[in-house]
Amino acid sequence: MNREKYISYLFVIPALIYVGIFSFYPTLDAVYLSFRNSHGQFTLDNYLALTTFGLYHSILNTIFITIGALLLQLFLGLIVASILMKEFRGKNIFSTIVILPIGFATVVSAVTFSLIFSSIGGYANSILLSLGLHPINWYANTPSSIITLILADSWKNTPLISLILLSGMVSIPPEIYQAAAVDGAGPIRRFFYITIPNLKSFIAISLIIRGISEFNIFALPLILVGYRPLFLTTLVYELYSTTATYFYSVAAASILLAFITVFIVIIIKLGGYKK
Amino acid sequence: MRKQFLLYIGVIIISIYFFYPIYILFLVSFSPIQFTLKMLYPLQYPISITFSNLIVAIHSFELIDPMIKSLKTALSVATLSIIIGIPTAYGISRLPQKISYLVITIIFIVDMMPSIVTAIPISSEFISLGLYDTFIGLALMQELIVLPLVTFILVGAFQSIPKEIEYQARIDGLGMVRTLYRILVPLSKPAIIASFLLSWMFSWDEFTYAIILSPIRPTLPIIIYDNITRGNLLASTSFALIVSIPVLILTIILQKYLKGEYLAGGLKG
Repeated sequence: MNREKYISYLFVIPALIYVGIFSFYPTLDAVYLSFRNSHGQFTLDNYLALTTFGLYHSILNTIFITIGALLLQLFLGLIVASILMKEFRGKNIFSTIVILPIGFATVVSAVTFSLIFSSIGGYANSILLSLGLHPINWYANTPSSIITLILADSWKNTPLISLILLSGMVSIPPEIYQAAAVDGAGPIRRFFYITIPNLKSFIAISLIIRGISEFNIFALPLILVGYRPLFLTTLVYELYSTTATYFYSVAAASILLAFITVFIVIIIKLGGYKK
Repeated sequence: MRKQFLLYIGVIIISIYFFYPIYILFLVSFSPIQFTLKMLYPLQYPISITFSNLIVAIHSFELIDPMIKSLKTALSVATLSIIIGIPTAYGISRLPQKISYLVITIIFIVDMMPSIVTAIPISSEFISLGLYDTFIGLALMQELIVLPLVTFILVGAFQSIPKEIEYQARIDGLGMVRTLYRILVPLSKPAIIASFLLSWMFSWDEFTYAIILSPIRPTLPIIIYDNITRGNLLASTSFALIVSIPVLILTIILQKYLKGEYLAGGLKG
Protein backbone atom coordinates (compact mmCIF):
# COMPACT_ATOMS: atom_id res chain seq x y z
CA MET A 1 0.00 0.00 0.00
CA ASN A 2 3.05 2.25 0.03
CA ARG A 3 2.59 2.97 -3.64
CA GLU A 4 -0.90 4.31 -2.87
CA LYS A 5 0.53 6.76 -0.41
CA TYR A 6 2.74 8.23 -3.13
CA ILE A 7 -0.20 8.44 -5.51
CA SER A 8 -2.08 10.48 -2.89
CA TYR A 9 0.78 12.94 -2.94
CA LEU A 10 0.57 13.18 -6.72
CA PHE A 11 -3.05 14.28 -6.46
CA VAL A 12 -2.23 17.44 -4.52
CA ILE A 13 0.98 18.35 -6.35
CA PRO A 14 -0.62 20.22 -9.31
CA ALA A 15 -2.49 22.53 -6.93
CA LEU A 16 0.64 23.15 -4.86
CA ILE A 17 2.69 24.00 -7.95
CA TYR A 18 -0.09 26.25 -9.16
CA VAL A 19 -0.39 28.26 -5.92
CA GLY A 20 3.41 28.36 -5.64
CA ILE A 21 3.77 30.02 -9.02
CA PHE A 22 0.75 32.31 -8.98
CA SER A 23 0.36 33.19 -5.31
CA PHE A 24 3.49 32.66 -3.21
CA TYR A 25 6.02 33.71 -5.82
CA PRO A 26 4.39 37.07 -6.67
CA THR A 27 3.73 37.80 -2.99
CA LEU A 28 7.37 37.22 -2.04
CA ASP A 29 8.41 39.12 -5.16
CA ALA A 30 6.32 42.10 -4.01
CA VAL A 31 7.97 42.11 -0.58
CA TYR A 32 11.42 41.70 -2.15
CA LEU A 33 10.88 44.50 -4.68
CA SER A 34 9.58 46.82 -1.97
CA PHE A 35 13.13 46.90 -0.53
CA ARG A 36 14.82 47.60 -3.88
CA ASN A 37 15.48 50.70 -5.94
CA SER A 38 15.56 50.89 -9.72
CA HIS A 39 19.22 49.78 -9.70
CA GLY A 40 18.33 46.65 -7.76
CA GLN A 41 20.03 47.78 -4.55
CA PHE A 42 18.62 47.43 -1.05
CA THR A 43 16.78 50.52 0.15
CA LEU A 44 14.13 51.69 2.60
CA ASP A 45 13.31 54.74 0.47
CA ASN A 46 10.14 53.21 -0.94
CA TYR A 47 8.70 52.96 2.55
CA LEU A 48 9.91 56.39 3.60
CA ALA A 49 8.36 57.89 0.47
CA LEU A 50 4.99 56.36 1.35
CA THR A 51 4.60 58.66 4.33
CA THR A 52 4.34 61.61 1.94
CA PHE A 53 1.58 59.85 -0.02
CA GLY A 54 -0.85 59.63 2.92
CA LEU A 55 0.24 56.28 4.39
CA TYR A 56 -0.85 57.04 7.98
CA HIS A 57 -4.33 58.14 6.96
CA SER A 58 -4.77 55.13 4.75
CA ILE A 59 -3.73 52.78 7.59
CA LEU A 60 -6.06 54.46 10.09
CA ASN A 61 -8.98 54.53 7.65
CA THR A 62 -8.45 50.86 6.81
CA ILE A 63 -8.49 49.95 10.51
CA PHE A 64 -11.60 52.06 11.15
CA ILE A 65 -13.56 50.60 8.27
CA THR A 66 -12.54 47.07 9.23
CA ILE A 67 -13.63 47.43 12.84
CA GLY A 68 -16.82 49.31 11.98
CA ALA A 69 -17.87 46.93 9.24
CA LEU A 70 -17.12 43.84 11.34
CA LEU A 71 -19.17 45.16 14.27
CA LEU A 72 -22.15 46.08 12.11
CA GLN A 73 -22.03 42.83 10.12
CA LEU A 74 -21.71 40.69 13.22
CA PHE A 75 -24.60 42.52 14.89
CA LEU A 76 -26.87 42.28 11.84
CA GLY A 77 -25.70 38.74 11.12
CA LEU A 78 -26.69 37.59 14.61
CA ILE A 79 -30.13 39.18 14.20
CA VAL A 80 -30.69 37.65 10.76
CA ALA A 81 -29.51 34.21 11.88
CA SER A 82 -31.71 34.35 15.01
CA ILE A 83 -34.72 35.29 12.88
CA LEU A 84 -34.00 32.43 10.48
CA MET A 85 -33.97 30.00 13.43
CA LYS A 86 -37.63 30.87 14.10
CA GLU A 87 -40.67 29.68 12.21
CA PHE A 88 -42.98 32.42 10.93
CA ARG A 89 -45.17 33.26 7.96
CA GLY A 90 -43.18 34.59 5.03
CA LYS A 91 -39.94 32.93 6.15
CA ASN A 92 -39.18 31.69 2.61
CA ILE A 93 -39.44 35.17 1.16
CA PHE A 94 -37.35 36.59 4.00
CA SER A 95 -34.59 34.02 3.56
CA THR A 96 -34.46 34.73 -0.19
CA ILE A 97 -34.30 38.49 0.41
CA VAL A 98 -31.42 38.19 2.86
CA ILE A 99 -29.45 35.94 0.51
CA LEU A 100 -29.94 38.06 -2.63
CA PRO A 101 -27.13 40.60 -1.98
CA ILE A 102 -24.60 37.75 -2.35
CA GLY A 103 -25.64 37.65 -5.99
CA PHE A 104 -24.59 41.23 -6.68
CA ALA A 105 -21.04 42.07 -7.70
CA THR A 106 -19.21 44.56 -5.50
CA VAL A 107 -19.11 46.89 -8.51
CA VAL A 108 -22.89 46.64 -8.82
CA SER A 109 -23.44 47.36 -5.14
CA ALA A 110 -21.11 50.36 -5.48
CA VAL A 111 -23.09 51.70 -8.44
CA THR A 112 -26.37 51.18 -6.58
CA PHE A 113 -25.15 52.86 -3.42
CA SER A 114 -23.80 55.78 -5.43
CA LEU A 115 -27.40 56.28 -6.60
CA ILE A 116 -28.64 56.11 -3.00
CA PHE A 117 -25.93 58.14 -1.27
CA SER A 118 -25.00 61.21 -3.29
CA SER A 119 -23.20 64.24 -1.95
CA ILE A 120 -26.10 66.35 -3.24
CA GLY A 121 -29.56 64.87 -3.74
CA GLY A 122 -29.93 61.16 -4.37
CA TYR A 123 -32.37 58.58 -3.07
CA ALA A 124 -31.39 58.60 0.62
CA ASN A 125 -31.65 62.38 0.76
CA SER A 126 -34.98 62.24 -1.01
CA ILE A 127 -36.26 60.01 1.83
CA LEU A 128 -34.84 62.37 4.46
CA LEU A 129 -36.50 65.30 2.74
CA SER A 130 -39.90 63.59 2.59
CA LEU A 131 -39.58 62.85 6.33
CA GLY A 132 -39.05 66.57 6.90
CA LEU A 133 -35.33 66.19 7.67
CA HIS A 134 -32.36 67.99 6.20
CA PRO A 135 -30.45 66.38 3.32
CA ILE A 136 -26.95 65.23 4.21
CA ASN A 137 -23.71 65.34 2.24
CA TRP A 138 -22.73 61.71 2.91
CA TYR A 139 -19.14 62.37 1.87
CA ALA A 140 -18.65 65.67 3.73
CA ASN A 141 -15.79 64.35 5.87
CA THR A 142 -13.76 61.21 6.48
CA PRO A 143 -15.93 59.73 9.28
CA SER A 144 -19.18 60.15 7.36
CA SER A 145 -17.58 58.73 4.20
CA ILE A 146 -16.40 55.71 6.15
CA ILE A 147 -19.84 55.20 7.72
CA THR A 148 -21.43 55.38 4.27
CA LEU A 149 -18.94 52.80 2.99
CA ILE A 150 -19.66 50.54 5.99
CA LEU A 151 -23.40 50.67 5.26
CA ALA A 152 -22.82 49.82 1.60
CA ASP A 153 -20.31 47.08 2.38
CA SER A 154 -22.48 45.47 5.05
CA TRP A 155 -25.38 45.28 2.64
CA LYS A 156 -23.45 42.89 0.41
CA ASN A 157 -21.53 41.00 3.07
CA THR A 158 -23.87 40.51 6.03
CA PRO A 159 -25.61 37.59 4.24
CA LEU A 160 -22.40 35.54 4.28
CA ILE A 161 -21.93 36.10 8.02
CA SER A 162 -25.59 35.31 8.62
CA LEU A 163 -25.21 31.99 6.81
CA ILE A 164 -22.12 31.03 8.80
CA LEU A 165 -23.75 31.99 12.11
CA LEU A 166 -26.95 30.20 11.13
CA SER A 167 -25.08 26.95 10.54
CA GLY A 168 -23.55 27.45 14.00
CA MET A 169 -26.93 28.04 15.63
CA VAL A 170 -28.41 24.97 13.95
CA SER A 171 -25.63 22.87 15.49
CA ILE A 172 -26.54 23.87 19.08
CA PRO A 173 -28.70 21.07 20.57
CA PRO A 174 -32.20 22.42 21.36
CA GLU A 175 -32.17 20.47 24.66
CA ILE A 176 -29.78 23.04 26.13
CA TYR A 177 -32.30 25.80 25.46
CA GLN A 178 -35.16 23.77 26.87
CA ALA A 179 -33.19 22.99 30.02
CA ALA A 180 -32.27 26.67 30.44
CA ALA A 181 -35.88 27.74 29.88
CA VAL A 182 -37.00 25.26 32.54
CA ASP A 183 -34.43 26.77 34.89
CA GLY A 184 -36.03 30.14 34.27
CA ALA A 185 -33.56 31.78 31.87
CA GLY A 186 -35.28 34.31 29.61
CA PRO A 187 -34.59 34.69 25.88
CA ILE A 188 -31.96 37.41 26.38
CA ARG A 189 -30.02 35.45 28.98
CA ARG A 190 -30.28 32.31 26.86
CA PHE A 191 -28.83 34.32 23.95
CA PHE A 192 -25.83 35.56 25.94
CA TYR A 193 -25.17 32.44 28.03
CA ILE A 194 -25.92 29.71 25.48
CA THR A 195 -25.98 31.03 21.92
CA ILE A 196 -22.92 33.30 22.01
CA PRO A 197 -20.53 30.88 23.81
CA ASN A 198 -21.56 28.03 21.51
CA LEU A 199 -21.07 30.22 18.47
CA LYS A 200 -17.56 31.30 19.45
CA SER A 201 -15.72 29.39 16.74
CA PHE A 202 -18.28 30.37 14.10
CA ILE A 203 -17.94 34.02 15.09
CA ALA A 204 -14.15 33.69 14.86
CA ILE A 205 -14.41 32.18 11.39
CA SER A 206 -16.71 34.95 10.16
CA LEU A 207 -14.37 37.55 11.65
CA ILE A 208 -11.39 36.00 9.88
CA ILE A 209 -13.11 35.71 6.51
CA ARG A 210 -14.72 39.14 6.63
CA GLY A 211 -11.83 40.86 8.41
CA ILE A 212 -9.40 39.87 5.66
CA SER A 213 -11.85 41.05 3.03
CA GLU A 214 -12.39 44.34 4.86
CA PHE A 215 -8.67 44.99 4.91
CA ASN A 216 -8.74 44.34 1.16
CA ILE A 217 -11.80 46.52 0.54
CA PHE A 218 -11.05 48.05 -2.85
CA ALA A 219 -13.74 48.34 -5.53
CA LEU A 220 -16.29 49.88 -3.17
CA PRO A 221 -14.19 52.85 -1.93
CA LEU A 222 -12.63 53.31 -5.38
CA ILE A 223 -16.08 53.77 -6.93
CA LEU A 224 -17.92 55.53 -4.09
CA VAL A 225 -15.26 57.93 -2.81
CA GLY A 226 -12.34 57.67 -5.23
CA TYR A 227 -9.03 58.26 -3.49
CA ARG A 228 -10.27 60.44 -0.59
CA PRO A 229 -10.48 59.14 2.10
CA LEU A 230 -7.63 56.88 1.17
CA PHE A 231 -7.40 53.20 2.15
CA LEU A 232 -4.40 50.89 1.91
CA THR A 233 -5.70 49.20 -1.25
CA THR A 234 -6.63 52.44 -2.98
CA LEU A 235 -3.21 53.82 -2.02
CA VAL A 236 -1.58 50.80 -3.67
CA TYR A 237 -3.69 51.26 -6.78
CA GLU A 238 -3.22 55.01 -6.91
CA LEU A 239 0.57 54.56 -6.75
CA TYR A 240 0.42 51.71 -9.28
CA SER A 241 -1.56 53.69 -11.81
CA THR A 242 0.13 57.06 -11.37
CA THR A 243 3.83 56.33 -10.83
CA ALA A 244 6.10 55.05 -13.56
CA THR A 245 7.71 52.34 -11.47
CA TYR A 246 5.87 50.09 -9.11
CA PHE A 247 8.33 50.18 -6.21
CA TYR A 248 6.09 52.47 -4.15
CA SER A 249 2.98 50.44 -4.82
CA VAL A 250 4.62 47.14 -3.81
CA ALA A 251 5.86 48.81 -0.63
CA ALA A 252 2.29 49.87 0.18
CA ALA A 253 1.11 46.37 -0.75
CA SER A 254 3.67 44.85 1.65
CA ILE A 255 2.31 46.99 4.47
CA LEU A 256 -1.18 45.71 3.65
CA LEU A 257 0.18 42.18 3.79
CA ALA A 258 1.82 42.82 7.16
CA PHE A 259 -1.45 44.12 8.61
CA ILE A 260 -3.38 41.11 7.37
CA THR A 261 -0.82 38.77 8.92
CA VAL A 262 -1.06 40.55 12.27
CA PHE A 263 -4.85 40.53 12.10
CA ILE A 264 -4.96 36.78 11.50
CA VAL A 265 -2.60 36.09 14.39
CA ILE A 266 -4.75 38.22 16.73
CA ILE A 267 -7.97 36.51 15.69
CA ILE A 268 -6.47 33.05 16.03
CA LYS A 269 -5.11 33.89 19.51
CA LEU A 270 -8.37 35.49 20.68
CA GLY A 271 -11.00 33.31 19.11
CA GLY A 272 -12.05 29.79 19.77
CA TYR A 273 -10.33 28.93 16.53
CA LYS A 274 -9.15 25.41 17.16
CA LYS A 275 -8.35 22.83 14.57
CA MET B 1 -48.00 38.07 20.86
CA ARG B 2 -45.46 40.67 21.87
CA LYS B 3 -42.64 38.35 20.81
CA GLN B 4 -44.21 37.77 17.39
CA PHE B 5 -44.62 41.53 17.01
CA LEU B 6 -40.93 42.16 17.73
CA LEU B 7 -39.97 39.38 15.33
CA TYR B 8 -41.93 40.97 12.51
CA ILE B 9 -40.47 44.41 13.25
CA GLY B 10 -37.01 42.86 12.85
CA VAL B 11 -38.05 41.03 9.69
CA ILE B 12 -39.41 44.22 8.14
CA ILE B 13 -36.41 46.43 8.99
CA ILE B 14 -33.89 43.85 7.76
CA SER B 15 -35.92 43.18 4.62
CA ILE B 16 -36.01 46.87 3.79
CA TYR B 17 -32.24 47.22 4.26
CA PHE B 18 -31.52 44.24 2.00
CA PHE B 19 -34.20 44.88 -0.59
CA TYR B 20 -34.17 48.67 -1.01
CA PRO B 21 -30.87 48.86 -3.00
CA ILE B 22 -32.10 46.12 -5.37
CA TYR B 23 -35.34 48.06 -5.81
CA ILE B 24 -33.41 51.25 -6.60
CA LEU B 25 -31.24 49.45 -9.16
CA PHE B 26 -34.36 48.22 -10.97
CA LEU B 27 -36.16 51.56 -10.54
CA VAL B 28 -33.35 53.55 -12.17
CA SER B 29 -32.83 50.96 -14.91
CA PHE B 30 -36.48 50.88 -15.92
CA SER B 31 -37.51 54.52 -15.43
CA PRO B 32 -37.06 57.42 -17.86
CA ILE B 33 -34.00 59.37 -16.81
CA GLN B 34 -35.97 62.57 -16.15
CA PHE B 35 -37.59 60.90 -13.12
CA THR B 36 -34.38 59.41 -11.73
CA LEU B 37 -30.88 60.74 -12.33
CA LYS B 38 -32.03 64.07 -13.73
CA MET B 39 -33.95 64.86 -10.53
CA LEU B 40 -32.07 66.25 -7.56
CA TYR B 41 -34.45 64.46 -5.19
CA PRO B 42 -35.68 61.52 -7.26
CA LEU B 43 -39.03 59.84 -6.66
CA GLN B 44 -39.11 56.60 -4.70
CA TYR B 45 -41.68 54.94 -6.95
CA PRO B 46 -41.98 54.45 -10.72
CA ILE B 47 -44.06 56.96 -12.70
CA SER B 48 -43.62 55.26 -16.03
CA ILE B 49 -41.71 52.26 -17.21
CA THR B 50 -39.27 52.22 -20.10
CA PHE B 51 -36.96 49.68 -21.64
CA SER B 52 -35.00 52.24 -23.58
CA ASN B 53 -32.16 52.48 -21.00
CA LEU B 54 -31.50 48.77 -21.31
CA ILE B 55 -31.95 48.73 -25.09
CA VAL B 56 -29.42 51.55 -25.43
CA ALA B 57 -27.05 49.66 -23.12
CA ILE B 58 -27.38 46.37 -25.01
CA HIS B 59 -26.82 48.07 -28.36
CA SER B 60 -23.83 50.02 -27.14
CA PHE B 61 -20.66 48.81 -28.77
CA GLU B 62 -19.09 48.97 -25.32
CA LEU B 63 -20.97 45.99 -23.98
CA ILE B 64 -20.37 43.13 -26.42
CA ASP B 65 -16.59 42.72 -26.22
CA PRO B 66 -16.45 42.93 -22.41
CA MET B 67 -19.28 40.43 -22.18
CA ILE B 68 -17.45 37.94 -24.39
CA LYS B 69 -14.29 38.47 -22.38
CA SER B 70 -16.15 38.01 -19.08
CA LEU B 71 -17.83 34.84 -20.35
CA LYS B 72 -14.57 33.34 -21.60
CA THR B 73 -12.77 34.19 -18.37
CA ALA B 74 -15.53 32.89 -16.11
CA LEU B 75 -15.87 29.61 -18.03
CA SER B 76 -12.09 29.10 -17.88
CA VAL B 77 -12.02 29.76 -14.14
CA ALA B 78 -14.92 27.39 -13.50
CA THR B 79 -13.43 24.61 -15.66
CA LEU B 80 -9.98 25.03 -14.16
CA SER B 81 -11.40 24.94 -10.63
CA ILE B 82 -12.97 21.54 -11.31
CA ILE B 83 -9.87 20.17 -13.05
CA ILE B 84 -7.57 21.18 -10.17
CA GLY B 85 -10.14 20.97 -7.37
CA ILE B 86 -11.21 17.32 -7.75
CA PRO B 87 -7.77 15.68 -7.46
CA THR B 88 -6.69 18.15 -4.77
CA ALA B 89 -9.75 17.45 -2.65
CA TYR B 90 -9.34 13.70 -3.11
CA GLY B 91 -5.65 13.87 -2.25
CA ILE B 92 -6.44 15.84 0.90
CA SER B 93 -9.01 13.30 2.02
CA ARG B 94 -6.55 10.40 1.46
CA LEU B 95 -3.22 11.77 2.72
CA PRO B 96 -2.03 11.13 6.28
CA GLN B 97 -3.63 13.69 8.56
CA LYS B 98 -0.45 15.64 9.25
CA ILE B 99 0.23 16.18 5.56
CA SER B 100 -3.35 16.92 4.55
CA TYR B 101 -3.41 19.44 7.38
CA LEU B 102 -0.31 21.09 5.89
CA VAL B 103 -1.86 21.21 2.42
CA ILE B 104 -5.06 22.72 3.85
CA THR B 105 -2.99 25.33 5.70
CA ILE B 106 -1.16 26.26 2.49
CA ILE B 107 -4.45 26.66 0.63
CA PHE B 108 -5.85 28.63 3.55
CA ILE B 109 -2.87 31.01 3.37
CA VAL B 110 -3.43 31.49 -0.38
CA ASP B 111 -6.99 32.47 0.46
CA MET B 112 -5.63 35.29 2.62
CA MET B 113 -3.12 36.77 0.18
CA PRO B 114 -4.55 40.09 -1.01
CA SER B 115 -5.27 40.09 -4.75
CA ILE B 116 -3.79 43.53 -5.12
CA VAL B 117 -0.46 42.31 -3.67
CA THR B 118 -0.09 39.37 -6.08
CA ALA B 119 -1.52 41.25 -9.06
CA ILE B 120 1.16 43.95 -9.30
CA PRO B 121 4.31 41.79 -9.62
CA ILE B 122 2.46 39.28 -11.81
CA SER B 123 1.36 42.04 -14.20
CA SER B 124 4.94 42.66 -15.28
CA GLU B 125 5.57 38.92 -15.60
CA PHE B 126 2.45 38.64 -17.74
CA ILE B 127 3.61 41.46 -20.00
CA SER B 128 6.81 39.58 -20.78
CA LEU B 129 4.94 36.26 -21.17
CA GLY B 130 2.27 37.73 -23.44
CA LEU B 131 -0.47 36.91 -20.93
CA TYR B 132 -1.23 40.52 -20.02
CA ASP B 133 -4.73 41.60 -21.04
CA THR B 134 -5.67 38.05 -22.11
CA PHE B 135 -8.55 36.06 -20.67
CA ILE B 136 -6.24 33.11 -19.92
CA GLY B 137 -3.91 35.23 -17.80
CA LEU B 138 -6.82 36.76 -15.93
CA ALA B 139 -8.43 33.34 -15.39
CA LEU B 140 -5.17 31.93 -14.03
CA MET B 141 -5.12 34.60 -11.33
CA GLN B 142 -8.85 34.60 -10.55
CA GLU B 143 -8.53 30.86 -9.99
CA LEU B 144 -6.64 31.69 -6.77
CA ILE B 145 -9.84 33.16 -5.31
CA VAL B 146 -12.03 30.15 -6.01
CA LEU B 147 -9.63 27.23 -5.57
CA PRO B 148 -9.74 27.22 -1.74
CA LEU B 149 -13.55 27.40 -1.67
CA VAL B 150 -13.93 24.67 -4.31
CA THR B 151 -11.40 22.42 -2.59
CA PHE B 152 -13.21 22.72 0.74
CA ILE B 153 -16.63 22.06 -0.83
CA LEU B 154 -15.28 18.97 -2.59
CA VAL B 155 -13.41 17.66 0.48
CA GLY B 156 -16.74 17.87 2.32
CA ALA B 157 -18.53 16.06 -0.49
CA PHE B 158 -15.97 13.24 -0.72
CA GLN B 159 -15.95 12.78 3.04
CA SER B 160 -19.73 12.43 3.13
CA ILE B 161 -19.58 9.39 0.84
CA PRO B 162 -19.64 6.18 2.94
CA LYS B 163 -16.22 4.55 3.07
CA GLU B 164 -17.76 1.14 2.26
CA ILE B 165 -18.57 2.24 -1.29
CA GLU B 166 -14.95 3.14 -1.89
CA TYR B 167 -13.64 -0.07 -0.25
CA GLN B 168 -15.96 -2.09 -2.44
CA ALA B 169 -14.60 -0.38 -5.56
CA ARG B 170 -11.04 -1.08 -4.42
CA ILE B 171 -11.84 -4.73 -3.73
CA ASP B 172 -13.27 -4.92 -7.24
CA GLY B 173 -9.81 -3.97 -8.42
CA LEU B 174 -10.19 -0.27 -9.29
CA GLY B 175 -7.10 1.88 -8.75
CA MET B 176 -7.23 5.17 -6.92
CA VAL B 177 -7.63 7.27 -10.04
CA ARG B 178 -10.44 5.15 -11.42
CA THR B 179 -12.15 4.95 -8.03
CA LEU B 180 -12.11 8.72 -7.94
CA TYR B 181 -13.44 9.37 -11.43
CA ARG B 182 -15.81 6.40 -11.79
CA ILE B 183 -17.24 6.17 -8.26
CA LEU B 184 -16.67 9.32 -6.21
CA VAL B 185 -17.08 11.99 -8.89
CA PRO B 186 -20.50 10.76 -10.11
CA LEU B 187 -21.68 10.52 -6.49
CA SER B 188 -20.54 14.11 -5.82
CA LYS B 189 -22.25 15.60 -8.85
CA PRO B 190 -24.30 18.21 -6.94
CA ALA B 191 -21.23 19.53 -5.10
CA ILE B 192 -19.23 19.61 -8.34
CA ILE B 193 -21.96 21.52 -10.16
CA ALA B 194 -22.23 23.93 -7.24
CA SER B 195 -18.44 24.45 -7.29
CA PHE B 196 -18.50 25.07 -11.03
CA LEU B 197 -21.29 27.64 -10.79
CA LEU B 198 -19.84 29.37 -7.72
CA SER B 199 -16.46 29.69 -9.48
CA TRP B 200 -18.21 31.08 -12.52
CA MET B 201 -19.99 33.63 -10.32
CA PHE B 202 -16.85 34.72 -8.50
CA SER B 203 -15.01 35.29 -11.77
CA TRP B 204 -17.96 37.10 -13.38
CA ASP B 205 -17.97 39.59 -10.47
CA GLU B 206 -14.22 39.88 -9.90
CA PHE B 207 -12.72 43.37 -9.95
CA THR B 208 -9.18 43.65 -8.55
CA TYR B 209 -7.31 41.25 -10.85
CA ALA B 210 -9.45 42.39 -13.79
CA ILE B 211 -8.58 46.07 -13.43
CA ILE B 212 -4.85 45.45 -13.00
CA LEU B 213 -4.31 42.57 -15.42
CA SER B 214 -6.81 43.37 -18.14
CA PRO B 215 -7.43 47.12 -18.35
CA ILE B 216 -7.18 47.56 -22.14
CA ARG B 217 -9.77 45.01 -23.22
CA PRO B 218 -11.74 44.94 -19.96
CA THR B 219 -14.34 42.63 -18.46
CA LEU B 220 -17.86 43.78 -17.54
CA PRO B 221 -17.13 44.99 -13.97
CA ILE B 222 -14.34 47.21 -15.31
CA ILE B 223 -16.59 48.68 -18.02
CA ILE B 224 -19.07 49.61 -15.29
CA TYR B 225 -16.28 51.33 -13.35
CA ASP B 226 -15.01 53.11 -16.48
CA ASN B 227 -18.46 54.53 -17.13
CA ILE B 228 -18.73 55.85 -13.58
CA THR B 229 -15.37 57.58 -13.80
CA ARG B 230 -16.57 59.19 -17.04
CA GLY B 231 -19.71 60.39 -15.22
CA ASN B 232 -22.00 58.15 -17.26
CA LEU B 233 -24.05 56.85 -14.34
CA LEU B 234 -27.07 55.73 -16.37
CA ALA B 235 -24.97 53.46 -18.58
CA SER B 236 -23.22 51.94 -15.56
CA THR B 237 -26.57 51.36 -13.86
CA SER B 238 -27.97 49.58 -16.92
CA PHE B 239 -24.77 47.56 -17.31
CA ALA B 240 -24.90 46.73 -13.61
CA LEU B 241 -28.39 45.29 -14.00
CA ILE B 242 -27.34 43.24 -17.04
CA VAL B 243 -24.30 41.88 -15.19
CA SER B 244 -26.45 40.98 -12.18
CA ILE B 245 -29.23 39.03 -13.87
CA PRO B 246 -27.36 35.75 -14.54
CA VAL B 247 -25.79 35.83 -11.09
CA LEU B 248 -29.11 36.54 -9.39
CA ILE B 249 -30.68 33.56 -11.12
CA LEU B 250 -27.72 31.39 -10.07
CA THR B 251 -27.94 32.66 -6.48
CA ILE B 252 -31.57 31.65 -6.22
CA ILE B 253 -30.87 28.25 -7.83
CA LEU B 254 -27.83 27.68 -5.63
CA GLN B 255 -29.56 28.89 -2.48
CA LYS B 256 -29.35 25.46 -0.87
CA TYR B 257 -25.62 25.25 -1.60
CA LEU B 258 -24.88 28.70 -0.20
CA LYS B 259 -24.63 27.28 3.27
CA GLY B 260 -22.46 28.39 6.08
CA GLU B 261 -21.05 24.86 6.36
CA TYR B 262 -19.79 25.03 2.80
CA LEU B 263 -18.45 28.53 3.03
CA ALA B 264 -16.90 28.09 6.45
CA GLY B 265 -16.68 24.32 6.80
CA GLY B 266 -13.41 24.01 4.99
CA LEU B 267 -11.77 26.63 7.12
CA LYS B 268 -12.47 24.62 10.22
CA GLY B 269 -9.90 22.16 8.90
